Amino acid sequence: MKAPFSPYLDAIAPGMKTLVAALKGKYDYVSVLCTDSVGFAASISQRAKAVNHSTMMTERGNVIRVCRDGLYSEYAFNRFDPAAPEKTAAEAEQALEAQFALLKETASDVYRTAALPDEPCVLHEEMETGTLPEETDLAALVEKLSAMSARGVAASEFALDCRLSAQSTHVCKMFLTPNRDMRQSYVYSEGVILPIVAKDGRVEYGYEGVSGREGPEIFDRLSDKVETIMKSAEELLSADRIEPGEYEVIVSPEVSGLIAHEAFGHGVEMDMFVKNRALGADYIGKRVGSDLVTMHEGASPEIQVASYAFDDEGTPAHDTVEIQNGILKTGVCDALSALRLGVEPTGNGKRENFEHKVYTRMTNTVFESGDSTLEEMIATVKYGYLLKGMQSGMEDPKHWGIQCILDRGYEIRDGKLTGKVVSPIVMTGYVPELLGSISMLSRDHCLYGNGGCGKGHKEWVKVSDGGPYMKAKARLG
Amino acid sequence: MENFIFDLLKRSGADGWAVRDEIRTGWEFYFIRHALDQNRVRETEHITLTIYKAFEENGKKFLGSASAEIAPTATEAEAEGLIRSLLFEAGLIRNPYYALNQPRGDAAPMPDAPDVAAIAGDFLRAMKSVDEDAGAFVNSYEIFTDSVCCRLVTSTGIDVTDVYPSSMTEVVVNARDDKREIELYRMYNSGSCDAAGLKANVEETMRFGRDKLRAGKTPALGKCDVVFSTDDALQLYDYFIDRMNAGMVYQGISDCEIGKAVAEDKGGDKLTVRAAKTLENSSHNGAFDSEGAPVRDMTIISGGVAENFYGRRMFSQYIGLEDSFSPGNFVVEGGDKTAAELRTGKFLEVVEFSDFQVDPASGDIAGEIRLGYLHDGDAVMVVEGGSVSGTMRELGGALRFSKEQKQYNNYLIPAVTRLCGASITGAEG
Repeated sequence: MKAPFSPYLDAIAPGMKTLVAALKGKYDYVSVLCTDSVGFAASISQRAKAVNHSTMMTERGNVIRVCRDGLYSEYAFNRFDPAAPEKTAAEAEQALEAQFALLKETASDVYRTAALPDEPCVLHEEMETGTLPEETDLAALVEKLSAMSARGVAASEFALDCRLSAQSTHVCKMFLTPNRDMRQSYVYSEGVILPIVAKDGRVEYGYEGVSGREGPEIFDRLSDKVETIMKSAEELLSADRIEPGEYEVIVSPEVSGLIAHEAFGHGVEMDMFVKNRALGADYIGKRVGSDLVTMHEGASPEIQVASYAFDDEGTPAHDTVEIQNGILKTGVCDALSALRLGVEPTGNGKRENFEHKVYTRMTNTVFESGDSTLEEMIATVKYGYLLKGMQSGMEDPKHWGIQCILDRGYEIRDGKLTGKVVSPIVMTGYVPELLGSISMLSRDHCLYGNGGCGKGHKEWVKVSDGGPYMKAKARLG
Repeated sequence: MENFIFDLLKRSGADGWAVRDEIRTGWEFYFIRHALDQNRVRETEHITLTIYKAFEENGKKFLGSASAEIAPTATEAEAEGLIRSLLFEAGLIRNPYYALNQPRGDAAPMPDAPDVAAIAGDFLRAMKSVDEDAGAFVNSYEIFTDSVCCRLVTSTGIDVTDVYPSSMTEVVVNARDDKREIELYRMYNSGSCDAAGLKANVEETMRFGRDKLRAGKTPALGKCDVVFSTDDALQLYDYFIDRMNAGMVYQGISDCEIGKAVAEDKGGDKLTVRAAKTLENSSHNGAFDSEGAPVRDMTIISGGVAENFYGRRMFSQYIGLEDSFSPGNFVVEGGDKTAAELRTGKFLEVVEFSDFQVDPASGDIAGEIRLGYLHDGDAVMVVEGGSVSGTMRELGGALRFSKEQKQYNNYLIPAVTRLCGASITGAEG
């Protein structure tokens, strides 16, 4: 079925167009982004249960963007009377004028930028979904998750609990300018199993998820994973600490995704080029990885949680090849940064929600696959680790350092897994060295879209990332 | 907020309800160097409804809840439909029965709404006053100042309102020489603007930046003491604070027990942690927590021994706490030694991690070193790269705290903390 566009946004569209027209006479550029996204989040464990209607992307609100004399300003609000758009226009103007007065009083300079182009575009897209979150039988879902949680606890003598979470969001966004009317509607969902196990005072977590630009039907796929992830969590209870050093490693697709995201994805967000905060600006056309490394970023090439028709500035989704055979080709860019850099925007201008500013953000970031099997890759390792499970990562665009905190490493000696597990793993290093050491890739690749991505320590948005199994050299601690 | 919401809730058949109405005015300024990239205003109202449903099954009593945000422009029909859905959903949630918060404490006098323009002006002037030169300068910064008015009304008679300022500044500092340019990142949270403190901290970060330009690679140190003198130390103290949370205790993730030590004695200082009703210029000085419980001063850990758990109503009731609350501010008392005394012998003082983390459940410690000072007697080497790891299960009892304290928004903690015996992975070799 098609995810239907919000009747609320359709209803306020004429008023919003009047609002845009009222402001157009006073500013060089005017746009408004309106959102009406609904969903649910259920969290079920043996000890505590909850259901609410807030997810990372549920929201209803609006943000006006204007430009005058090269200064871009925004006004975010969630009270709007479509019968009195001039009132909102006046309130926005008055609020911004108060800021201009303070800026004048403090003699603040302005980073002046030309007005954004406003090429005509009408795009109304309702994307395919199985079901809708607002039509989900929550009673059945709660029962289903409760049963999985109980199965999880029964599967391990060390289980403290087994948490199941399920979130689904029906996203509706409308972008209007004097010449543009763009509307999109899609559904994404994500589910997680989080086992908690304990032994002799040591507490460890496991983590397994499903995600996609799909409806709540996706949660059925959690069921097959319950017992496996409980056993996987148990392994951590007897895991040793790794001996720090540099090792041959094979990283799983989710760790490949973390590397794609942290190592390079953030490093080529081109709003960082504008601020001179990214080393990547100096490396366009230069080698940053081995010949095997080709990396895509964009909302269009993959169908995952961050796949949309247009971004929060009304730029259609792209497929950007950032690295091709080890050579850095380009970055990704929001519209305003693109204007400042003299390049084309790539559909990567995203807001946390209507209250937040646009930044250049990732969507789906993925390494291309190779032609090896995992077994062939393991057979080539003299002494190293198969690394699985991502906990977190942190970008460092200015220096290309990398921090990835991973769940576990499975020891490999003389081409065979020994059964020894080490945990946790802190993988650090210099990005071009890490990407330059990639020597084998598996044939398949997977994308993962659970959780969120911040910029610095804020601005959380949905992204997905992934790749194949990759063999490389990395510093582990 | 429309009054019909209360009328609908009273008629809904719910066994309890709560309405949280948060009105914010936010001013934001984004700068590249000192040129304004963008200015923004936010004027929003967020109304959250929570519905409770009590029920019995097989002789067991349950209290389920469900919550949702309702748009301030929602019609009466929309509100009625949402409340009906929430009531149904609350009946699906089989949480053991607990009693909801009752009105407690005197209503605090309502302060005036913060003047966001004045606070924003203070931030703008403070950032312009930072001493810079070609070798170390502000790359970019973002200023967020909010005036918040938050009212909570419940079916049990709670009707409380907190009005407060909340601010955040993100600052990126660069340093450069003939060979390279580096950056350091800082995020500061506060109530309003502490101009002198902000200026001093940004200028200290610039000194760190100049030092990073001459940093060598962190050697493989094996076991080494690590000294923390920035807000990364909060992660170490949060490990203990989180484990005193009623939710962590009830769910079995924390094994803390009242009257017992919170860490195995490894010769470190004895930890004392207090919840504080207010801290100067904290953005968490509300008189009530998010469920309407009055916030007060309370000792949580005393001399290394668990004294009082804290937390949200449901979990507090489950472990037998009658009048608990979720604190906004925490104070960690200092130790016997001065900061200078803790900075002796061989140690690595890390002033910049990429993202230092302590897992509250496993106690695992992890962080990539972006800038550190390796001290060995009088010798000091500036280092970068590599990582710090270990586990609080083994190292938590050996922490040493300085007498001097330092405030990070809603935390007042020892200015210097020494983590003894961490593992240091070098940046090479």
